[in-house]
Amino acid sequence: MPVEYLTLPYLTTGLVCLLGGVVSSWRSGQPRKPAALAAAIAFVSFLGAAREVIAVGHGRLFDPLLPCFDADALDAVPMAFYAALTLMVVELAPKRDAGHRAMAGMLIISLATQIAYAAAGWTTLLSGWWLSCLPFVLGMFGVQHSTKLAIGLLLASCLALTAAVAVMHAETVGNLSHGGSLTFGLIILAVMCRKGVFPLHSGVVQAFEKGPLLPVALLFNGHLGVLLVAHSEASVLPQSARQAFDILSVLAVVSACIISIRAFAETKPRRLLAFLYVSQASFILAGIAAANIAGITGALVHWLALSAASTGLICIVRVLEVRVSSSENPLVHLGLAVKAPRLATFFLICGLALIGLPGTLSYCGEELIFHGTLANHPAVGITLLVTSAFNAINLIRLYGILFLGVLPKHVIDIPDALPRERWPLTACVVFLVLGGLFPGIIIGWRAETVQAIEKALGVAAAAMPQR
Amino acid sequence: MPLQTLIPLLIATPGVLFLMLGTIWLLGGHVSERAISRISKVIHVFLALLVAIMGREMWQRNMASMNVALGDWFTVAEYGFPLSLLIDKLSLPLVGMTVVLAGIVGSFSVRYLHRDPGFFRFFLLLHLFTFGALLVFTAGSLDLLVVGWEIVGITSVLLIGFFQYRPDPVRNALRVFATYRLADLFMLTAVFLSHHWFGTASWAGMFSGDWPSSAYKFDGAAATVIAVLLAFAASGKSSQGPFCGWLPRAMEGPTPSSAVFYGAISVHAGAYLLLRVEPLLHHSVIATSLVIFIGLTTAFLGTLIHRTSADAKASLAYAAQTQIGLIFAEIGFGWTTLAVIHLVGHAMLRTLQFLRAPSMLRDYHRVHAAAGGKLSPTGSHYESLLPSAVQIWLYRWALGRGFYDSIVERWVMAPVLTLARWLAIFEPKFPRQQPEAEPSAKVVETPVS
Repeated sequence: MPVEYLTLPYLTTGLVCLLGGVVSSWRSGQPRKPAALAAAIAFVSFLGAAREVIAVGHGRLFDPLLPCFDADALDAVPMAFYAALTLMVVELAPKRDAGHRAMAGMLIISLATQIAYAAAGWTTLLSGWWLSCLPFVLGMFGVQHSTKLAIGLLLASCLALTAAVAVMHAETVGNLSHGGSLTFGLIILAVMCRKGVFPLHSGVVQAFEKGPLLPVALLFNGHLGVLLVAHSEASVLPQSARQAFDILSVLAVVSACIISIRAFAETKPRRLLAFLYVSQASFILAGIAAANIAGITGALVHWLALSAASTGLICIVRVLEVRVSSSENPLVHLGLAVKAPRLATFFLICGLALIGLPGTLSYCGEELIFHGTLANHPAVGITLLVTSAFNAINLIRLYGILFLGVLPKHVIDIPDALPRERWPLTACVVFLVLGGLFPGIIIGWRAETVQAIEKALGVAAAAMPQR
Repeated sequence: MPLQTLIPLLIATPGVLFLMLGTIWLLGGHVSERAISRISKVIHVFLALLVAIMGREMWQRNMASMNVALGDWFTVAEYGFPLSLLIDKLSLPLVGMTVVLAGIVGSFSVRYLHRDPGFFRFFLLLHLFTFGALLVFTAGSLDLLVVGWEIVGITSVLLIGFFQYRPDPVRNALRVFATYRLADLFMLTAVFLSHHWFGTASWAGMFSGDWPSSAYKFDGAAATVIAVLLAFAASGKSSQGPFCGWLPRAMEGPTPSSAVFYGAISVHAGAYLLLRVEPLLHHSVIATSLVIFIGLTTAFLGTLIHRTSADAKASLAYAAQTQIGLIFAEIGFGWTTLAVIHLVGHAMLRTLQFLRAPSMLRDYHRVHAAAGGKLSPTGSHYESLLPSAVQIWLYRWALGRGFYDSIVERWVMAPVLTLARWLAIFEPKFPRQQPEAEPSAKVVETPVS
């Protein structure tokens, strides 16, 4: 099969822009401007790559300058989408989070995630995986004594993936056909540590609670764990791998349900948000591991919806923390909707989009995941339905804590959404709502990947009786 | 204009208005009270006109039903989300009722909420609610009905918490939302199982013929399971049976919202669902018995509590619950035409009562004076037939509102919270590096950039 290339070096341009953004924001007195510019150019580049991949409609397109990078239907759309999220976070970051070290750190996370997306080989993917943890390990967002567990689990995921690659001796991403039980065990461990699958969820919760919120949003919304699972599903896997992914599917469902229950006993906004995020993120794994068209399509759509909605929520929570210091651990309801009605509305829309209100993109994603999992086993589908109900209740609790109730006397005056904050949040809401009203377009973006995964699953299923 | 265009136009109009007003406001725009009230009046008159034209067209052409297929919302492999709308002898009266009552309540609210800080929010939510309710009553499938159902639910909760600066509405809104979500679980499960077992959740796929003489196509235990699930879902929306505790809590919202949601439209959505799936219900003895049992027990409980409630709106809420319980029983017995008449009549009367609730005492005194001071208390005839010990027991039971809240708190909420706290064992705690700053209530927050 001949190797096909992108018409322009979109991937190299995007990655170089991000790297340039890291350097220039590190040196600049006003780091937000170069960081935003780099993120914007990277977004345009990755968008170009995504458009070309969708137009071609099949296979992988390598970058003409750096052939160690490629874009296919699975990662091209998330690349462009993630670049947009980076731009949103850079724009929304409050002044105190927009220092030169922090901006450079956020761009490093973005760069690392894009490297992992664009990786054509395991070595490149591994380097992206490791690099995304580096800003936290180096303390680029301030000294983080209290997030040792979170950093430890991130490093454990890196080590597990490195060991899996070392054991497997494969070169290209997506070629997992000669992996054994140990390989897939290690891959699943890496995914569990990275995504905070139960019982390893406390790392993500701690990162949300004690860590820098905006970089954490960028780190986890890369969904590198899901990318790895999707890559694995898209290759013809041996029987041992199929069993391993079945276990991961069960763990994802259990994780989603247990964490949603755990959240009922929580009142701190950051922790509540973390539980909501981890529980909803487990839906993606459950959908992909369902191994049918509905489940996989739902998971890939929910990936985008969850990333947009959770980034919006996290940014709003951070913006509120800067305005009202007591919002980190409120003793009572904060009643901020009176002073910041637009932030409250943005929060509510993003939140309802997170839990799958009809008319938002995640409704379509969740609906397909439910159908996919229900087709495999009714109990799994119903468990996810229950989880979704619990998450909805927790979301309204979180909204109530932050925005409803009596405004505390010490909160005299706080600004509502500033213009700098209003436009990115509006863009996020428009994406979630328009995506929900016209989900066919987004499903179309992901159709190629779904077909590739389905084809691989079909080949594996056909091969199974012969063994 | 053909009917195929009128029906989508009718439903889309309030939805588009909501989106437009919401976007203007989010981007920093301001819409005055006068502009909102005028736009709302024009829209409601327009909607009423559309319904009248639709009714006339159907009557002139002698059409029993009109199905509008708008294709699929999204399609993946064999599964497609059907966008089909249905207007028939059941949905047309309810659509008409929704448009008229929403218009009346909107008109009432212009004065009632004049200069209220939440004026804009109220009308925004009212338009979203109208869109959701119209979608519920015209949906051609369970899938699409769920969409409207959820929109009605969330607008209802947001209006219960309308006075967001008071703790009680916030607490009650959360309780109502939790109840809604748990009840919606039954609905969603029914939809998914219906697709899973029968490959369809559309009315056309499930029933043959036009309402009320339609027949259910499928058979067996699966049909019973779906019927029972839908009966519970309807109970949740209409505050019946195991979900009967939320309606009085919902009275925390402004009076116009109580009227349109809990007197008129939202609370009857459950009864509408049962009427729509009535052939499915009657296919199963279990489901029919369940609906009758839920309806009659709730009616009994509701009428007792209604008589002992001290506040006007809670009393009206329990009265509404009683009547809806009777409507459930009528549906269970198969008296569908009576149930529809009862439903529409009850919605109209209850809206009037809710809207007059703020001046109820004044009304009573006026009627009392007009009767020459001879107005005697009513309702003591049936009680006198019971032994006094039973009377006292029932009175205490009604005063405690059936001890519903205590039961829910003790047997549902407490175990869940205990489990949630126990699950913290999976989150290791490390010794603190430095003492955490306690949340301070003394620091004055100032504007920040």
